[in-house]
Amino acid sequence: MKRVLTYVISIAALLFAWEMASLAVNGINHALILPGPFDALSQVVKNAAELQRNFAASAWRLILAIFISLATAMPLGLLIGREPTLDRFFSPIIYITYPIPQVALILFLFVVFGTGSATKVAMVALALFFQILVSARGAAKNIDEEYITSVLSAGASRWQVYWHVVLPATLPQILTSVRVSIGLGIAFLYIAETRAALGTGLGSFINKHMLFSRDRAFAGIIAMAILGLLLYIAVDVIERIICRWKYVKKMPLK
Amino acid sequence: MIDVHAVTIDYGQGEQTVRAVENVSFHLDKGKSLALIGPSGCGKTSLLFALSGLLYPRSGRITMGGEEVNTPRRDVALILQNAGLLPWKTVWQNANLSLLLNGEFPQQNAAEVLAHLGLDSVMKRFPAELSEGMKRRVGIARALSTSPSVLLMDEPLASLDTLTREKIQDLFLNLWHEHGFSLILVTHNIEEAAFLGQRIIVFTDRPARISAIVDNPQMGALDYRERSPFQAVMSQLREALEA
Repeated sequence: MKRVLTYVISIAALLFAWEMASLAVNGINHALILPGPFDALSQVVKNAAELQRNFAASAWRLILAIFISLATAMPLGLLIGREPTLDRFFSPIIYITYPIPQVALILFLFVVFGTGSATKVAMVALALFFQILVSARGAAKNIDEEYITSVLSAGASRWQVYWHVVLPATLPQILTSVRVSIGLGIAFLYIAETRAALGTGLGSFINKHMLFSRDRAFAGIIAMAILGLLLYIAVDVIERIICRWKYVKKMPLK
Repeated sequence: MIDVHAVTIDYGQGEQTVRAVENVSFHLDKGKSLALIGPSGCGKTSLLFALSGLLYPRSGRITMGGEEVNTPRRDVALILQNAGLLPWKTVWQNANLSLLLNGEFPQQNAAEVLAHLGLDSVMKRFPAELSEGMKRRVGIARALSTSPSVLLMDEPLASLDTLTREKIQDLFLNLWHEHGFSLILVTHNIEEAAFLGQRIIVFTDRPARISAIVDNPQMGALDYRERSPFQAVMSQLREALEA
């Protein structure tokens, strides 16, 4: 209950700051430049159907991209982090490719995948792939060796070490990188969705209305924020279920 | 039953090689107990890891019952400094980890072992919810789950307060009498070595070489700490370590 209340208070504070900023910007320019939260919220209601359609399009692209990058980058990152031979081979490749702004490849992706959803999903998945790869590798390198020794001395095989130690030990950090990925992913998705003319998704909705009906564009921005928030909450819930051991009361029993 | 013959252990390669153990030999009969004592970081742990089959000596041989040790054995259990518990597994899963990894199911006596160690009420808890003393007992339960004939312990009681430490030392002593396993204990604590080791090997600083061997035949009773031979062995060990 207390958590819900603090949520409500902080969102109210955000809306208040937005309203103040809008009054100031519009006052200085004597024109409607920055729509206030109430204009935008009323547009959310008025455009509910259209927003819902675009929200769904963006949401499934983002979720699919997160799953694709997790399914590929997590196992690869854990392997590279634990196997020195693989690390020596892959590290230079990661260091060279990680800093490349993946957006630079967007036109190339349009050529390869066309202008439909595939390109947008690929764009986001590509960006998140590196995010998750680098953090899975780092997490795997930092596992307390006592855990490894402990299962090895109990007769664990190489794959049992991955299953019983490496995966559970790194999950919290990987989920943190998924949280970071949600923010990044929304940014990349926006870019990808605005690049395709007449596409679906919140990005193209925002882009379409930004010049001539800005309050509608801001309604789209609110929808994007809600998408991010829902995904964050989902990751929190998942973490509380699969990393239950992290949330137990650390009160020594006698 | 356990034979360590001229064992030398190195870490690293080429110029960065660090010698951890040099030319160490000893013998331990079945069911006896041995304490290895020396300065922190001298290489005792490396020797213990070699005994458990986790690392190979550069030269020399380790055999158990005539077989060379080169991989972890089912009849040898290792207890680590922080009990080696996995934080994401419950007490029950941790205690039966060795069995589960080998595709076996915990027998009925697994629950009895936990109950005997006073852990039956916390089987579904995670390690973070336990006191330090309880964590050690889970580690012990895990080691006993496979009914080992050799128990290796690496500073198993470091970082415990004195009373808890003595309680668990008493527990080790009782279990040793009860189960009849051979016991090798690595420690830097003089009292612990004198209380649990029938024979105590004193090591030099790195690389670990044997500097003295102290026999302690009168150990084995719970009140040994209050007897005069205990004090005598302690002062012998202190002198050997200072030398």
